[in-house]
Amino acid sequence: MLNDPVNLMSYVVMVFKKVLGFDETKARRHMLEVHEQGRSVVWTGVRETAEAHVFSLQQWHLTAVLEPDEAR
Amino acid sequence: MKRVEVKLSLPVVAPLLDVIRELSCDLEKNLAAPQALHDLDPEFRGAWIGELLAGQNDDLRALLALFGGEFFSEGIVAFDETNAEPIVRACTAVRLHLRERRLKSLSDESLETGDIDMDGLDEITRKAFMCYLFLATVQELIIQHLDSSIIGS
Repeated sequence: MLNDPVNLMSYVVMVFKKVLGFDETKARRHMLEVHEQGRSVVWTGVRETAEAHVFSLQQWHLTAVLEPDEAR
Repeated sequence: MKRVEVKLSLPVVAPLLDVIRELSCDLEKNLAAPQALHDLDPEFRGAWIGELLAGQNDDLRALLALFGGEFFSEGIVAFDETNAEPIVRACTAVRLHLRERRLKSLSDESLETGDIDMDGLDEITRKAFMCYLFLATVQELIIQHLDSSIIGS
């Protein structure tokens, strides 16, 4: 996940909870990581599931990218 | 069904609808947040973008439908489980596009903090920024009042 200056913090937390199934604490932690560091790895695993998560996050207009594990 | 009704000031909000409509037209063929999809097969990428665009257009229609007869007669808009999610997403789409098309002169930091001298803005930018704030308020209202019963987590 990459930061953007438009989306509200409450919106990003809600989307993380809804799309990735995070609880409030985890969603807030990742939201703050995106906000402060510009990016956060929100999910790792098999490519097909990662693609589905990226697509869902993009439906909510968040900037989500798919990266191979070795890229990090 | 949980439903939230909000009474808006017609003289304040009605002029902002022109901005929302205009940007919604702009967004018919463009994603509000262009995504980097280099890692996808080109054919798959086309289908991916097409599906995002179709969803974005459905969401924008839900946002525009909010401002129908009840809004123009009473100033009232209503959110429920059928329109809350699409409207929240559509507000983000329009806000992203407002930043790209109308609010480039404002810094990202100013947009994030909202710390902007309205009197120092020209008319077009002021209207765009008011629209930007209004849509954020709609989002906050929905997120705060229509909890997990509607925006399922």
